[in-house]
Amino acid sequence: MSVERTLKEFEEDRKEAARVAARMLLASAVTSPRVGGVGECTVHIIDDECDIEDLCQVVEEMSSENKAWEFFLRDAAMLRDADAVLVVTSLRSLTDPSDINCNLCGKLTCEYLRKEEKLPMEPGIAYTGPLCTFRAMNISYAVDGIVSLARNLGIDYGVFWSAGAAAMRMGILPRATGFALAVAISVTEKSPFRDIPVKYSEINERTMNDRIIRRLWPQFRSIYS
Amino acid sequence: MAIREMDDMVQSGLDRAVEMMTLAAKTSFKFGSRNTIKVISITGSEIEQLAEYCFSLGDMAPLAARDGRFAADLVKEPSAVLLIGDKRQSLFNYNCGACGYRTCAELNKAEMVESLTSNGPSCVFRNINLHMAADAAAAMAWRLGLHCRVFSTLAFAAKALEVMPGVDMIVSIAVSAAKTDPFFDRHKFWTQEVWDQTFKKEFPTFTRGFIGAVEDEDW
Repeated sequence: MSVERTLKEFEEDRKEAARVAARMLLASAVTSPRVGGVGECTVHIIDDECDIEDLCQVVEEMSSENKAWEFFLRDAAMLRDADAVLVVTSLRSLTDPSDINCNLCGKLTCEYLRKEEKLPMEPGIAYTGPLCTFRAMNISYAVDGIVSLARNLGIDYGVFWSAGAAAMRMGILPRATGFALAVAISVTEKSPFRDIPVKYSEINERTMNDRIIRRLWPQFRSIYS
Repeated sequence: MAIREMDDMVQSGLDRAVEMMTLAAKTSFKFGSRNTIKVISITGSEIEQLAEYCFSLGDMAPLAARDGRFAADLVKEPSAVLLIGDKRQSLFNYNCGACGYRTCAELNKAEMVESLTSNGPSCVFRNINLHMAADAAAAMAWRLGLHCRVFSTLAFAAKALEVMPGVDMIVSIAVSAAKTDPFFDRHKFWTQEVWDQTFKKEFPTFTRGFIGAVEDEDW
């Protein structure tokens, strides 16, 4: 980045725009339709660069736990480019079935679901199901509330379940959280969440900078000084 | 110059709006780029059929009965119900555990449990995709100025009556172009007497000074 004052201001304002947008998106998520309506979902904003990095580290660690989770590495690389991450939680899906016997979980009645043994919280398991699916799917309205407004505001977004699961692992969400999804947002000219190259976890802007520009610079300096 | 009547324009606007909602549902964000939802819309007598079924559940499902009575009123003004459905098995291979099975393969192998409301066990992410489509449709309806509400009761009725064959779970979005918002006002279905009775039964401590006192003989 250039040292020009105006460019530095632009960078600051860009980040501020993402922070403001994150709060607008939170409002959209909270007011989206909900079954039951009360105390179902919460939305948490992570907009500190260091906090986002912490989240990415956990996402990366989780990728080795399950063969199906190899794409978590790519997710982490994308999340590092996010200006803010919104984590949407489902507070009632784990402990408080909806008592409408909808059979989405396949247990016929909520009483049977209550008696069902949950999966243990161990590596390779993201959510300790069986969850009340009727409760868990409630957060899709919150997530789409974010997506819908982000589209209107012209904010780039990416939806990641890996980051939601990682946030649960980190213990930064309410204790009763049974299910969580994350939406990362970015205010940049090119969305970092779509149209990405293969092997993105290995070859991305950071590794390119590190392995090409930053390697080259000391040599250039020592040769031409 | 032709003159078009208001009713005609409202009806054709509503028809167009339902198409736009379907479009929004189809193109909404989906996990894993798995877009397998099915959408149909119903109006008039088909909605009445769902309403009748819901209402017939009566005391067995008071919420459904209430929504049934409501839907019977809904069709008196220009209205439509969008039904969005999907199959239950996982297509994602996320192995996330939310459904209670360790892997998607285990979930897909599990025996299907059929019921009137929906068939389970179902993949949570497939449900999420389905309901994000529902929210996109609702958001579109909101933007187009329609009255809108998402109903699971009418959707369960549609599943029970097999209005939408070949799907395991359904969600419904009801829209209306009535003069005033017919949703979120169910007070007209309550008489003062019923209200008082129900309130007293549900919240007995609200009017009682000392909770330990027994004031009502049949309590």
